Amino acid sequence: MIRSFKGYGFIILFIILLTFSSSIVLADTYTKQRIYDFANLLTSEEIERLESMAQKYSTRRDTDFVILTTDHTEGKDIVEYMEDFYDDKALGYDKPHGNTAILTIDMNNRDVYLAGFYKGEEYLDDYRLDLIQDKITPDLSNGDFYKAFRKFIKTSYKYMGIRPGVDPDNILFKLGFQITTSLIVAGIVVGSMAYNTGGRVTVYDGTYRDFSNSRILNRRDTYLRTSVTKHKKPSNKNRSGGSGGSGISRGGGMTRGGHSHSGSRGKF
Amino acid sequence: MATALILTGVGFFLEVINLVIHYKCPNCGADMAFNAETGKLSCHSCGREDDIENFPDEFIKAHFSEDEAKEYHCKNCGAILITETETTATTCSFCGAGVVLADRLSGKMAPSKVIPFAISKEEAMKAFKKWCRNGRLTPKGFMTADRIKNITGIYVPFWLYDLNSRVQVNAICTKVRTYTRGDYIYTETRYYDVYRDINLDYLKVPVDASEKMNDELMDKLEPYNYQELKDFKTPYLAGYIAEKYNYDEKELLPRAKAKIENYINAYINSTITGYSSVNYKDKRIDTINTHAYYTLLPVWMVYYDYDKSEHTFAMNGQTGKVVGKPPISFGKVVAWFGGIAGATFVALKIIALLMGGGLL
Repeated sequence: MIRSFKGYGFIILFIILLTFSSSIVLADTYTKQRIYDFANLLTSEEIERLESMAQKYSTRRDTDFVILTTDHTEGKDIVEYMEDFYDDKALGYDKPHGNTAILTIDMNNRDVYLAGFYKGEEYLDDYRLDLIQDKITPDLSNGDFYKAFRKFIKTSYKYMGIRPGVDPDNILFKLGFQITTSLIVAGIVVGSMAYNTGGRVTVYDGTYRDFSNSRILNRRDTYLRTSVTKHKKPSNKNRSGGSGGSGISRGGGMTRGGHSHSGSRGKF
Repeated sequence: MATALILTGVGFFLEVINLVIHYKCPNCGADMAFNAETGKLSCHSCGREDDIENFPDEFIKAHFSEDEAKEYHCKNCGAILITETETTATTCSFCGAGVVLADRLSGKMAPSKVIPFAISKEEAMKAFKKWCRNGRLTPKGFMTADRIKNITGIYVPFWLYDLNSRVQVNAICTKVRTYTRGDYIYTETRYYDVYRDINLDYLKVPVDASEKMNDELMDKLEPYNYQELKDFKTPYLAGYIAEKYNYDEKELLPRAKAKIENYINAYINSTITGYSSVNYKDKRIDTINTHAYYTLLPVWMVYYDYDKSEHTFAMNGQTGKVVGKPPISFGKVVAWFGGIAGATFVALKIIALLMGGGLL
């Protein structure tokens, strides 16, 4: 038991070392802009912090986490605006027009659009982007943009660690659930061990029964009536489920430069 | 047979005469005692073993003590046996001879069945020590089992009840089916009136009839193997302590009924199957006692001093099952809890990883 504890400790240590070393190696190579705050929603200090955070998480997932804000979309729709921006700036972690997850805010129309390109598209399908959007929309509505952007980067990063097609909100993936379950299991096992130290009852209901004389003498199962109730099927038009991630899906699209992406659109 | 004759004879003198039975070896004249390993009456001196069913009459020394104050004299050495009123067999504290106080086992007090000890004192000691070592939550100092104060073989009086229960139940049961037609989900519930008339026989349900013995402890000692159930003969008691009952069969019948109540309910539930829900409207259970056997069952009592308090354990003298609360080590509880919680956590992490989830 104690050995497995130690083993787990080693795994954690290993991961910490790994992440530190990778960020140290790549930290000073060059700085790349990932926060484009054209709408001036953030202070320069906040931009600084988001940049370093985006940098850190981008290297771990080989995908750039980009924030784009604007208050005039040059007459374009938010999706088109974002697509052109991607084409123009040649965003991407691995190469120009490469792996990207981008959050676009249009302050004029109070539109929000989340998109993923390449690896970003594969791991952040429409369903997952919908989930992320649900998480950040309250903060956006409150005007707490810094918090919403941090949440976008963190959650996208987390979801990209989960195999495509798997529901990232699965309760099994939640640390709180894992800890609670572990404690409950241990409590039940140790509790029953303590309870049983005094010896268990090992007789069951058949121990003293005389099988030759114990039987049903008479039985009757009479049908009385039938009642039927009906209710409408719950509609699932709003969400398509976590099966997306391949090809062009509902929320995504294709840029003029021919780069396909996933997407989730909303208002705040 | 001979013993039984003496016992029935003694019933007549019960008021005035107290009877002590003592077994002499036909070979060498030494004291004989019941041997749990062979199931025979054996002589420690010359090793002679005798079948209890055929033990010769003339070597059972019956001694009539003419004292009204319920005082018994050891046939072997003449010492006065000082016993509690429940005691029916004991060993003489002066010469160590196993003696049976026959008048306390006669008439209404005569047991009808006995399960002899199958585990000797040495085996009991060994089995108890082994049990102590297996305790996963017991403190280390306890596990060595080196402070056993006393181990005593006792024939505990039990009533074995044969019970007949006539059960009649009425229940409303449902079968639920759901199906989809178009945009609607339909739930169809069919109701049934269910009736069962059941005859249940429970044989030899044991209930401990001694006031001294802890009921919970005695219940946990079950089950005994009834194949070894013998007609009562006093030689089985030689060398052990035996008690007589404090409660008669009528007084303990409610406890026997309570014991089988859950069994009956489990049986009823097992007869009503294939339904989504069962709602009992009427349940009549009539239990009658068809027979009660006054039976002596073998128990090793172990008294163990640990950490300034005495712990009492009981061992089934036939099967070796040990019951009783050992002390619990806080450190071990913490270690087990931590270990299991940690292992479960790692297992959940691995499952999450296999399902494609992230590590953090």
